[in-house]
Amino acid sequence: MTPSEVKRILWFYRPGSADDRDAEFNEALRLCQSDPELGAWLEEHCATYAALRAKFRQVAVPEGLKEQILSERKAHTVPMLRRPGLIAAALAAFIFLAGVALFWIRSGDTSEFATYRLRMTSAARRTYGMELETSNPAQVRSFLAQRHAVSDYSLPPGLQKAQVVGCTAAMSWRGHTVAMICFKSGRPLPAGQTTDLWLLIAEDATVSGVPSSMPTLAEVNGAATASWKEGNKLYLLIGEGDENFLRQYL
Amino acid sequence: MATGDDFEAIVAQYYEPLYQFAFSLTRAEADACDLTQQTFYVWATKGHQLRDRSKVKTWLFTTLHRAFLETRRRQTRFPHYELSEVPLELPAFSPQLISELDWAHVLAALGKVDEIYQAPVALFYMEDCSYKEIAEILNVPVGTVKSRMARGIAQLQRILSDGVSGKAAS
Repeated sequence: MTPSEVKRILWFYRPGSADDRDAEFNEALRLCQSDPELGAWLEEHCATYAALRAKFRQVAVPEGLKEQILSERKAHTVPMLRRPGLIAAALAAFIFLAGVALFWIRSGDTSEFATYRLRMTSAARRTYGMELETSNPAQVRSFLAQRHAVSDYSLPPGLQKAQVVGCTAAMSWRGHTVAMICFKSGRPLPAGQTTDLWLLIAEDATVSGVPSSMPTLAEVNGAATASWKEGNKLYLLIGEGDENFLRQYL
Repeated sequence: MATGDDFEAIVAQYYEPLYQFAFSLTRAEADACDLTQQTFYVWATKGHQLRDRSKVKTWLFTTLHRAFLETRRRQTRFPHYELSEVPLELPAFSPQLISELDWAHVLAALGKVDEIYQAPVALFYMEDCSYKEIAEILNVPVGTVKSRMARGIAQLQRILSDGVSGKAAS
């Protein structure tokens, strides 16, 4: 094996990895031991690899990601288990679900909408800064238009009666801005909390597996959500409460 | 569907490397979180179909990479290269200089590498997968994996080297 061939093999060698068990790498490593020039080249290669590997592995993982992943699973499983008569209902719905599953497989990725809904629900309920605080709905539209977020939205009749308190265009999904309008229901709120209803609007093309035009209600991490499609927009209404609480705003 | 205990153990073991791989591909926290969550969602619903439990890691990374490609919709645009010439001489770039950089700088440099090479480069540095496993994750032959790694690493080191030289000059 020539020195060039040794280098060509060891170029891909990663010390301390599965490569240590590879016969071809081991053979090339043995040759480096008897050739000082190759040995120096290998030392430099390993040191550069280790330095870059350390940088890649320093990528900070966001706090709470693990909990969010685990809670997403619970959001999909716990409510079902708690429902009485699940087995009978499941049997009765089997044919329907089989059809849905078939559609799901064919259409690619409805889980994306579930992920979108979970992430937006978590984000809306976390502490965040409203970019615009106003009770004037026209100012909200104007602000969202300026920020290139969806501004030609239509509010469901129930929500038109709720008091708007502000909005933000700081949230995004897959690089596309998501508009969020904050409302308050009028119920007493904990100190420091100014809003308990959030409407998020995105272009529906940015999320696959979007629901139908009829609002779909679901509990997500203890919050009630309703999602629907209207025109080319995807609406997600989130409320602190149960489904009955949310229905009055649809 | 995976049992709760199984699921939690697998999340605990793999969510960090998966997120880091996702971040190296997207360089956006929100998108990396989405990809990681989506991967575990698929695991929760379809993971039981995997009979060989020693392949969980490869399965998760494959799923994440596939989800990434789906979002980019570029899967068919990626040509397959076979291993040809490996650039034996890389830009002079000492490990000491690398250690002075922060990870965000290195990831930003990866973002400037041709997109087709980014995932192989990230897996080269981040994970301890064998080349066979990396080939499975990326769904390309081992020769193509190595070819892409070689080209991508050469680009990455050149970009980092130029960046350091630029700083030194200024």
